[in-house]
Amino acid sequence: MNSPGEGNLLEVRDLSLTLGGNTILDNVNMDVKHGHIHALIGPNGAGKTTLIRSIMGGMPHKGTVRFFFGDNGRIGYVPQLLEFDHSVPITVFDFLFLMLRKSPLFLSRRRPMRRKIQEILAATECEHLIDRGVGCLSGGEFRRVLLAQALVPRPELLLLDEPASNVDEVGARHFEQMLILLKQEHGHSILMVSHDMQTIMRIADRVTAINRTVTYDGPPGNLNLSDLFINVRPEMA
Amino acid sequence: MDFIYDIIRGWATAGYLPSIFEHTFMVRGLLAAIIIGPLLGAMGTVVVTKKLSFFTQTIGNAAMSGVAIGLLFGEPIEGTYAGLYGFCLIVALLMTFVKNRSRLSNDTIIGVVLAQVLGIGIIMMIVVTSQFNIHQVEGILFGSLITLNDMDLITLAIASLVVGILFSYNFNRVMLGGFNPILAKARGLSPVFLEYVFVTLMTVVVVASLKLIGALLVLVLIVVPAAGAQNIVSNLRQFVWVSMIFSTISTTFGLLLSGLLPIPSGAVIVLVSSILFYGSLLLKPILSKSGLSQGEV
Repeated sequence: MNSPGEGNLLEVRDLSLTLGGNTILDNVNMDVKHGHIHALIGPNGAGKTTLIRSIMGGMPHKGTVRFFFGDNGRIGYVPQLLEFDHSVPITVFDFLFLMLRKSPLFLSRRRPMRRKIQEILAATECEHLIDRGVGCLSGGEFRRVLLAQALVPRPELLLLDEPASNVDEVGARHFEQMLILLKQEHGHSILMVSHDMQTIMRIADRVTAINRTVTYDGPPGNLNLSDLFINVRPEMA
Repeated sequence: MDFIYDIIRGWATAGYLPSIFEHTFMVRGLLAAIIIGPLLGAMGTVVVTKKLSFFTQTIGNAAMSGVAIGLLFGEPIEGTYAGLYGFCLIVALLMTFVKNRSRLSNDTIIGVVLAQVLGIGIIMMIVVTSQFNIHQVEGILFGSLITLNDMDLITLAIASLVVGILFSYNFNRVMLGGFNPILAKARGLSPVFLEYVFVTLMTVVVVASLKLIGALLVLVLIVVPAAGAQNIVSNLRQFVWVSMIFSTISTTFGLLLSGLLPIPSGAVIVLVSSILFYGSLLLKPILSKSGLSQGEV
C-alpha cells in the first residue's frame, strides 16, 4: 500500500467529452494521489460534475481514466443533489439496507442489520438518525448519511460532488472535520468538487481547476483566482 | 381444482362463509382475490415510488387491443392469453424504451399512448368480431367474475408465484433505482435494466388480474392501497405490509360485496380500496400524535 501522497490512485489523460455538438470537457489531464484530499474547482458549468461522472464511467468520453487499485476496489460516491420524493416513507435504516443487502427488506428481520447500520452511521457521527425519515433530514444530516453509505464497503477513492452545498456554516465545518478524519485516521483518498475556497485552502492537498479544460493543477497555496477564469467559453467571454 | 372448490363451498354450506360462496364462480373469485391482493399491494409501493401509476393504466388500456389481436389469431374469446400478454408486454417495453431513449418526459409518453391503445383496441375489436359487443368490452374494462374460468385461475396463480419470487428477489434494487437512479448506478446497479424487469413483472400481474378487476380499474387497486399505506406508515417495511393488507382487504371484501350486490367486482373492489384510503387519511393525525407514524416522512 502506498503512503499518503505517494503514487497515483487515479490518472485522467486527454479526457474530452462532447454533448449535442458542445464541447463540455477538452483534453483534461489530472492525477489524484493516494491518501490525498484533491479538490476539483471551477465556475458553474465548467464541467466538474461531468468530469466526476466520466471518472465513474457514467458518461461516454474520449481519453483514458485509469485507477491504480485492484479489480475489487470500488469508488464511494456522494452526489451533488439527491432528488427524491420526500413523501416516500423511507428511513435512514431502510436507505442503507437497500444499498447493502440483497434479501428483500420487507421479508428481512430488522434487528440483526440494525447494529451493523448503526456502526456504519457512527463513522460519520449520525447513528442517532437511524430511524428518521430521509425526507425529514436537514441538508447537513443527509450529507452525513450519504457519506456514511459511500464508506461501505470501504472505497479506494471517495468522490464527493459539492459535499457542503445546502449545508449551513456549522454543518460545513463539521463535514470538513470529518473529511480530515477520514483521510488522516482511515487513510481515505478523496476527490471532491467544491466551490468553497476557504475549505479548500484548509483541507485540500492538491487542487485542479477546470473550465472545460484544466486551468490550474497544483497545491492550493499557489492558486490565483484568475486561474479559475482563463479559457472561458467563447459564449461567456 | 374441484377438490379446492368443494372444500370452500363446504365452508359456505356449514355457515363459516357467506352462502354466496356456495357458487363456484364466487369461490374462483375468492381464490383470485387472495392470490392477487398481496402481490398488487406490494408492487404498488414501487409503482408509487417510481411514479408509474399512469404507466400501469396504459397497460390496462392496452388489454383491449390485446384481446382483439388474440381473437384475430384464432384464440377463443374466454382465453386470449397470447394476444393479451404479448401486446401488453410489447406496449410496456416499448414505452420504457422510448422513455429511456428520448427526451420526452414519462408523463408525455404516457399521454400519447394511454388513450391510443384503448381507442385502437375498440376499433380492432369491432373489425375482428364484425360487431360491437358491449358485454365483451364491459368485461375487459370493469372485470367479470362470471367469465373467470379454471384456466384463468391457474394462469393467475402461476404468474403470481413467478412474479412474487422475482419481485421479492429484486425488491431492494428496484426500490433503490426508483428512489434515486444516480445512487443506484454508483452502487453498480443498472436502473434502466431494473426498470425493464419491474415493468415486465407488473405487466404480467396487471394482465393476469384483468378479469377480476378490469382494465380501467386495475390502476386503482395498484395505487390506492399503497397511497393509503403511505398515509400511516413510518418505514419501508410497514409500507409494503400495510399496502399488502389494504389491497387484500379490498379484493376479498370487494368480491364479497359484488356477490351480494349487482355490481361488477372491479367497481366494488375499488370502492372498498377508496374507503380504506380515506380511513387512513383520518387515522394519520391520530398516529402522528401518538408517535406511531412520522407524519412528515
